[in-house]
Amino acid sequence: MIPVSVVTGFLGAGKSTLLRRVLRDPAWADSAVIVNEFGEVPLDHDLIAASEESFVSASTGCLCCVVRDDLTRTLLDLLARREAGEVPRYRRVLVETSGLADPAPILHALMTDRALAATHALAGVVTLVDALHGAAALARHPEAQRQVLLADRILVTKTDLAPVPEAAIRALNPAAPLRAAEHGAADPGWLLAPAPPPAALPDWAARHTAGLGSVVIEREAPLPALALTLWMQGLAEHCGTRLLRLKGLVALAEQPDRPAVVHAIQHMVHPLDWLEAWPGGDRRTRLVLIGERIPRHFPARLLAAVEAEVAAELARRA
Amino acid sequence: MTPPELRDLLADALALWDVPGRPAVAGGAVTLAAPDGSALRVLPAAPADHPIRWWVERPGQRRPCTSVLGLLRTLRNAMGAETAEARRLRVARPEA
Repeated sequence: MIPVSVVTGFLGAGKSTLLRRVLRDPAWADSAVIVNEFGEVPLDHDLIAASEESFVSASTGCLCCVVRDDLTRTLLDLLARREAGEVPRYRRVLVETSGLADPAPILHALMTDRALAATHALAGVVTLVDALHGAAALARHPEAQRQVLLADRILVTKTDLAPVPEAAIRALNPAAPLRAAEHGAADPGWLLAPAPPPAALPDWAARHTAGLGSVVIEREAPLPALALTLWMQGLAEHCGTRLLRLKGLVALAEQPDRPAVVHAIQHMVHPLDWLEAWPGGDRRTRLVLIGERIPRHFPARLLAAVEAEVAAELARRA
Repeated sequence: MTPPELRDLLADALALWDVPGRPAVAGGAVTLAAPDGSALRVLPAAPADHPIRWWVERPGQRRPCTSVLGLLRTLRNAMGAETAEARRLRVARPEA
């Protein structure tokens, strides 16, 4: 499996600068970079100096709009050329989105395309936020908001010019690990590490900003697996594309001693993963929904209704 | 699920479907108005009706629902809400 990290951020956030520095690091030079540029003349890829082990492929057009054709084709074409020895034998792929890209369709393609499934795995989403202009971009541009909402890690750039706009970032994504870049640089080991499990995230609280926001569900009692499945189906059916992401730890009644890791992007859910034990001894279910104009109490109310039905049916059959 | 709890859930659902309206509790039922002006009533089914859990009534029509998800689907259709955004849950391929 070749890990694919998505590097996103609004226009001017410093994505190309960051990738250039990452590729200079010998430990990370064996990377393939796909640069998506919104415009007819590819430019950004010229700004990323590739080493002998790494190289850059450019695509134009908005990746999030043509993702099935463009990203899929590019990744598979690169892989074929890698196997044929036509390009360096890279060990990972970094996808730099255009500053105007919505990452959700990109993640969706990485999770669902059959051809990609056998060879590539999404490692995580890194979002860059410009300290100088980031708060304004987050206030005005839905694309910038969605980039932060979907981030597994957030890197704030240009912190030598302005303080970290933490309030604006945390209003959208209160939990993703956040660091400040120092003169455009950041530790690639931190930046491109697999997405942290929800257990490693700090406490969430419900946040709402301009229709985008997160909703938290916490529960003490274990949940029947059937109730979890029906609830997620209900969310997918009624929230539709408003549901951007769902993640968290769940105590399932069938196996309460080990937390199940739930991870879904829009209506696409990963098979449940299991942690060996509950981190920190906290055995509560903790679920975070990230979405757009989802009524704040709908997820919890739907869960309560579904769970009551499942409990009643189980009691009836007992 | 009590009628007030169902009313609150349906109010959220109407907001999700971009359908105006405010469900209300009336007796043991929850009432709401369809866009064509007809009245809809949602009543809990009696235990003897199992597996039916809910009835959706409108003039001249009575539809059974066996789950809250089925109830929401029935109401969404009855309200003429756009379903293009509705999605079926899909499982992504297993990680290697």
